[in-house]
Amino acid sequence: MNKYSICFSTTPAITLVLFLVLMPVFPAGAAEALLVYAGAASKPPTEEAVKLYEQKTGTKVDLVFGGSGYVLSQMKLARQGDIYFPGSSDYMEKAKRDGHVFPGTEKVIVYLVSAINVQKGNPHNIRTLSDLTRPGIKVAIANPEGVCVGAYAVEIIEKAFTPAEKSVFRKNLVNYTESCEKTATAISLKTVDAVIGWSVFQHWDPARIETIPLKKSEISRIGYIPVAISSFSNNKVRARQFIDFLLSEEGKAIYGKYHYFMSPEEASAWIGATKPVGGEYVLPADWRPK
Amino acid sequence: MSLRRVSILFAFSTFALFAVLVLSLLYFYRGGLFIETLFSERTLFSIRLSIYSATVAAVLATALAVPSAYALSRCDFPGKDAVDTILELPMIVSPAALGAMLLIFFNNPLGNWIQTRGAQFVFDSNGIILAQFVTTLGVATRLTKAAMDEIPQRYEDVARTLGASLAAAFFNVTLPLCRRGLAAAFILSWAKAMGEFGATITLAGTMAMKTETLPIAIFMKLSTADIDGTVVLILIMTAIGIGTLYAVRMISRKGLHA
Repeated sequence: MNKYSICFSTTPAITLVLFLVLMPVFPAGAAEALLVYAGAASKPPTEEAVKLYEQKTGTKVDLVFGGSGYVLSQMKLARQGDIYFPGSSDYMEKAKRDGHVFPGTEKVIVYLVSAINVQKGNPHNIRTLSDLTRPGIKVAIANPEGVCVGAYAVEIIEKAFTPAEKSVFRKNLVNYTESCEKTATAISLKTVDAVIGWSVFQHWDPARIETIPLKKSEISRIGYIPVAISSFSNNKVRARQFIDFLLSEEGKAIYGKYHYFMSPEEASAWIGATKPVGGEYVLPADWRPK
Repeated sequence: MSLRRVSILFAFSTFALFAVLVLSLLYFYRGGLFIETLFSERTLFSIRLSIYSATVAAVLATALAVPSAYALSRCDFPGKDAVDTILELPMIVSPAALGAMLLIFFNNPLGNWIQTRGAQFVFDSNGIILAQFVTTLGVATRLTKAAMDEIPQRYEDVARTLGASLAAAFFNVTLPLCRRGLAAAFILSWAKAMGEFGATITLAGTMAMKTETLPIAIFMKLSTADIDGTVVLILIMTAIGIGTLYAVRMISRKGLHA
């Protein structure tokens, strides 16, 4: 047997093996699946909620996670998807303006409050916002141009710091992360000493992350995570059913387990003051170089 | 149809595939925005940073690839197969995983020591070069080794019988003979480094005017749901990358044939 005959005789076997290995990757009946574009701000409980929803209804849910703006771009370009579930209101406003979601279907799932997040045990003894201007402290925020929690951080910095403090803070600011999730991971991996993130980050990774509340005067607004049916959806009934499940007691319990705030009142009570809910923040020019 | 025609057809099909992708960008193209974006301080910074870091990373990768490839091509030593196999690591693990591995390395005591006593890599422009270097080193070594494998060992043996040392035989015989392969290794490393995204963003971050290379700038435009801006930056990157590679290919073709 020469080398060519060996090659030809093994080809069908290799093809069969490849077919068997790859077959489960392309399941049949994927048309029934719901496609959800979600900001990473709700990743841990949303994944859990989806698993429960799939078990209860048998409907497959495909989750695309990323920065809220990034997943909106994907939805716009792909021209498909059933639900837009950004990390905060800013990008939902944009999606509504551009006609990519049905405004009437928008619902609020949970509320978020900005906070400082540090490594467990607070090894750098960061107690206040002004501690982030101490020499040698390494800080990160989410990229304010694309990730909502970053825009909230900039709003807090702009309101709380004098120009001199801002300048010192920006020297300590070593990185912009590209999503909510990676902002929390920056603390878990100890690549920075502190981030300005959400209070819930502590409950995403309790072994490594600790939340330091901001002063009530430093918090400008309460964030919220909205959800709406995409204008590209071909399955509005199921999409509505999924949103109803998230709003049900069962769905809410999952978000509650991760210490998301279930109402503005709950968020206000944690802050210690009533604050406006949601809205859009326009980044100052020096935070978005041209 | 002759084999020649079929092969040319396939070559043009490949060209057409990429050309269609580039032309489809024009669907979202806005002329005024192109000039405004191209000459903005932020884009010019990203272009300079991308070209500088890709060039440094490619030079370092090629410089390290030459002796490594020589060892793998000409010498037998314990662990040679392991060294040869691990060259493919950057291609097997995704660039994002490679970036995470680098980030995790700098999180351990040795990495931490390098960061505090040596150079800063995490969230720094040095991190861009390191990420691109690690991503391209395997490719550079593999291509250089392939070029050296093509040069018969006999040529070096003849040079040695004429009194040349091992080093002199390498520098005067093997290296000049595989210069085209070396040039290809450098060009491919440069192109790969220029487009590197996953490891760079993980290790160096996304800060505008600091660590924002062109691929990261494209990602950031997409992250702000700015499709028009994304298209402009992709066109700029394509023009710079393809233009540079075409020019280098033309120049090196003349030089290598001289």
